Amino acid sequence: MELLQVRNISKVYRTSRSAAEFRALNNISFSVREGEFVGVMGASGSGKTTLLNIIGGIDKPTTGKCVIAGQDITVLDKSRLAQFRIKNIGFIFQDFNLLETMTLKENILLPLALNGYSAAEMERRLNQLSADLGIGRVLAKYPYEVSGGEQQRAAACRALITNPKIILADEPTGNLDSNSGKALLDLLSMINKKYSAAILMVTHDVFAASYCHRIMFIRDGEIYNELYAGESRKHFFDAIIDVVGVLGGEAYEPGFPGCAKH
Amino acid sequence: MNLAFLAVRNIKRSFSKYMMYFFTLSFSVFTVHSFLALVFNEQVMEKLTYSRRYQSMLVAFGVVIFVFVSFFLISSNVNFIKARKKEIAMYSLFGMTNAKIGRLLFTETLIIGTAALVAGICSGVFCSKLTAMILLNFTLAYFVGDIPFVVAPQAVWFTAVPFAFVFMLMGTAGRRVIAKFELVELFKGSKLPEANIRGSALHLIVSFALIGTGYYWAAIKEPAKLLLLAVPILLVVIAGTFLLFWGGLPQVFRWLRKNPHRYFSGENMIALSIFTHRIRSIGSVMAAIAVMSAVGVTAIATGYTLYGSMEVSTYDQLSYDLFFYGGRDVRDEVHDVFTKYGVGILGEYTVNRYQVKAVQIDPQQTVERVFRIYSESDYNRLIEVSRKIYQPIEVKPGQGLQAGRDIAAYAEIDEPYNDGRQSKLVLSDLELAVVTRADMANVHFGAYQMLVVSDEDFDHLVQTGTFASVDAFGEPLDEVTVIKYENPLRAHQLNSELNQILDARSSGYVMAYNYYVEAMEVFGLVCFIGSFMSVVFILMTASLLYFKQITAAEEERHLYQILRRIGLDPKAESRVIAKRLLPVFFAPLLVGIVHGIFAMKSADTMVFRHMLDVDNTFMVVMRFSAVMYSIYALVYSAFYLITKRQYTSTVR
Repeated sequence: MELLQVRNISKVYRTSRSAAEFRALNNISFSVREGEFVGVMGASGSGKTTLLNIIGGIDKPTTGKCVIAGQDITVLDKSRLAQFRIKNIGFIFQDFNLLETMTLKENILLPLALNGYSAAEMERRLNQLSADLGIGRVLAKYPYEVSGGEQQRAAACRALITNPKIILADEPTGNLDSNSGKALLDLLSMINKKYSAAILMVTHDVFAASYCHRIMFIRDGEIYNELYAGESRKHFFDAIIDVVGVLGGEAYEPGFPGCAKH
Repeated sequence: MNLAFLAVRNIKRSFSKYMMYFFTLSFSVFTVHSFLALVFNEQVMEKLTYSRRYQSMLVAFGVVIFVFVSFFLISSNVNFIKARKKEIAMYSLFGMTNAKIGRLLFTETLIIGTAALVAGICSGVFCSKLTAMILLNFTLAYFVGDIPFVVAPQAVWFTAVPFAFVFMLMGTAGRRVIAKFELVELFKGSKLPEANIRGSALHLIVSFALIGTGYYWAAIKEPAKLLLLAVPILLVVIAGTFLLFWGGLPQVFRWLRKNPHRYFSGENMIALSIFTHRIRSIGSVMAAIAVMSAVGVTAIATGYTLYGSMEVSTYDQLSYDLFFYGGRDVRDEVHDVFTKYGVGILGEYTVNRYQVKAVQIDPQQTVERVFRIYSESDYNRLIEVSRKIYQPIEVKPGQGLQAGRDIAAYAEIDEPYNDGRQSKLVLSDLELAVVTRADMANVHFGAYQMLVVSDEDFDHLVQTGTFASVDAFGEPLDEVTVIKYENPLRAHQLNSELNQILDARSSGYVMAYNYYVEAMEVFGLVCFIGSFMSVVFILMTASLLYFKQITAAEEERHLYQILRRIGLDPKAESRVIAKRLLPVFFAPLLVGIVHGIFAMKSADTMVFRHMLDVDNTFMVVMRFSAVMYSIYALVYSAFYLITKRQYTSTVR
């Protein structure tokens, strides 16, 4: 079943004074099934983060629809959108986005607290998740007292605590060293399997991308290419490198080996 | 693009932030200028009887305000520069030297300073007539005249020069602040610079103990003891308040954060955690405001209470609208004046100021004393005319009622006679048993001691010629007349003519009006200065909090970004911001009010109980301070709303 449907989304930025416009996204359509782990790659300025923001309901598209679990989020007003976001979408960011004024525990419980859950229910969910994510010991600490990996796991824990149907991850490994990065990716895979949450991950990192089931490449606001993971992660990795090479080299070479054209 | 251009552009861009700064600054300039303009206004000074006293008081308070303002300016300037840390680091990164950035900030300060100076002085000049009228209205019991509009150039100079000097000083202070900035700050992620302070239960207990001790002392009922404790009370309460805001409040927050049912309601959690984070930087300011608002409000409420109850306290001191010494001729002239102005006399009585020497014999000693002596019926007629209400008395033959103005206060008698001890008085051939009463009227008319005897005994003494006809200085003892008349404190023309006649003709007189006028002048001035001071003070403290919160908003902006991504909807965000800012403005106010209640209790014990003739003086005082605190609360609410709007637009 399709969890997320993006239909003909465009995002156009206009400066008020001149007629010049900039198309960050140009008529993009795709869908994500339940429990799928999808990567989004592309050069800087290609529109990946704009896309993620629109799906996450942080930004509004100029035209097009974005349907999550049967609800078109582009028609919701701000308050309803905030409610919808809390219930259905989990976010993981590059710079963790933990509030430094709160302990990890408070950070993780925040989405539930904003939604008026009972204290007992919060504790129950937290205990289970924090054990799974291995941060039970550091829950009472403040973000600046723990390592980057622990912070990112806490951020993942916060994204998961509402049992979201889809998790949006914006460069989650960007601020981590390779070991912590790999640990986080393993964690995301585990989350993907155990909690059967769909994950949409924007990344620059080819290694991170190789954990996905499918990768969409975006260029100039359009979907340029799509890759599906095969049996071997090594092959998938090499194929991604090839496409990234093409995208980075600004040359469009049709029929590049290993690419299934969109 | 030169520095001046950049400075003007910066001011334009953050106009709304500068507005509050500008307003407070202008008002301070306005106040100082207004005070000085009054001092230099000859027409005003002419109208006041005690103009020297006035001038020095106005100048002194002008200086006090000026010092306050200087501190406020320098501290808010530092806050301002800190809020612009990133912008300044950016200039520096692009190769601006510190000296140049310093000049840029200096130019900005100068532009705003000059504008505020011009605005303050212009509005000061514009309103100078109004302020002069207000002052005269406050201080003169009778004022219907008009004052011409005058511009005092000295006042303008004496305001402009010191302020210009302070602005220069601020420019240099700015240089020192930017010298401390590190370029690296620009590249650090947006993180709140402060660590969480956790407070401790010990802090809380000690602060409560200190404040509680202060309160306990403040509630002591003996004025003498209270006076000795005044400084210790101030010290423990101030120490306790600071400790409360530094360590006690964070501890309370920590307890709150441990209560999952309350705390985990999302909005509380966010607001409380951010506020806890902030308490270190804002704690001292909040404590200072709590203490100073209590002191300020108490002082002003005291002034207003005394001012507002001037009539009552006038009669408390004097009892009579008018009394004068002199014979029939003086009385006739006085009556003519009353007829001339058509003022009705409500009561009048004339009595001889008889004086008698008597030997007082009690178990310890035998002393000769001089008494003012009345018969029972004379005394009872005298007190009928008094504005204060006294009980008529009854004296049996062979008895003497003795009263001192305040028996214990006079060295002539060591102890009050109302302890039941028996003494005897020997007057020529009469021997009287002495009875003492504390509730006797103040009708001594120049003597230390008063004696009331029965009508029979009095007649006997008159017949035997026991009374002296001249006093100790050889002056003839004539009659005294007491008069009660309509509107005694308002009949200005009547009173001034009476003053003229009695000055020339009477050997002594006291008019309630004169006493009232002098008291009005003193307390009126105190109230006038106090009102201005308190407005300056409220504005400055409120804008100090405002600046602190705007600086904080810059640093907290990323927190709200995160929260919005997590799913904080705009309505909830607005509630979070309200909860975040409310304690900043209202915690000091609340503590200040509680302090104020106890300060008023002390003021009541020391001052009001003696000056006011009301059953529950404390409640009278509380009414006045309630008005003051309402004004405080109103201004703070306005600032809270402005701050909230600015904060919201900053974090969005």
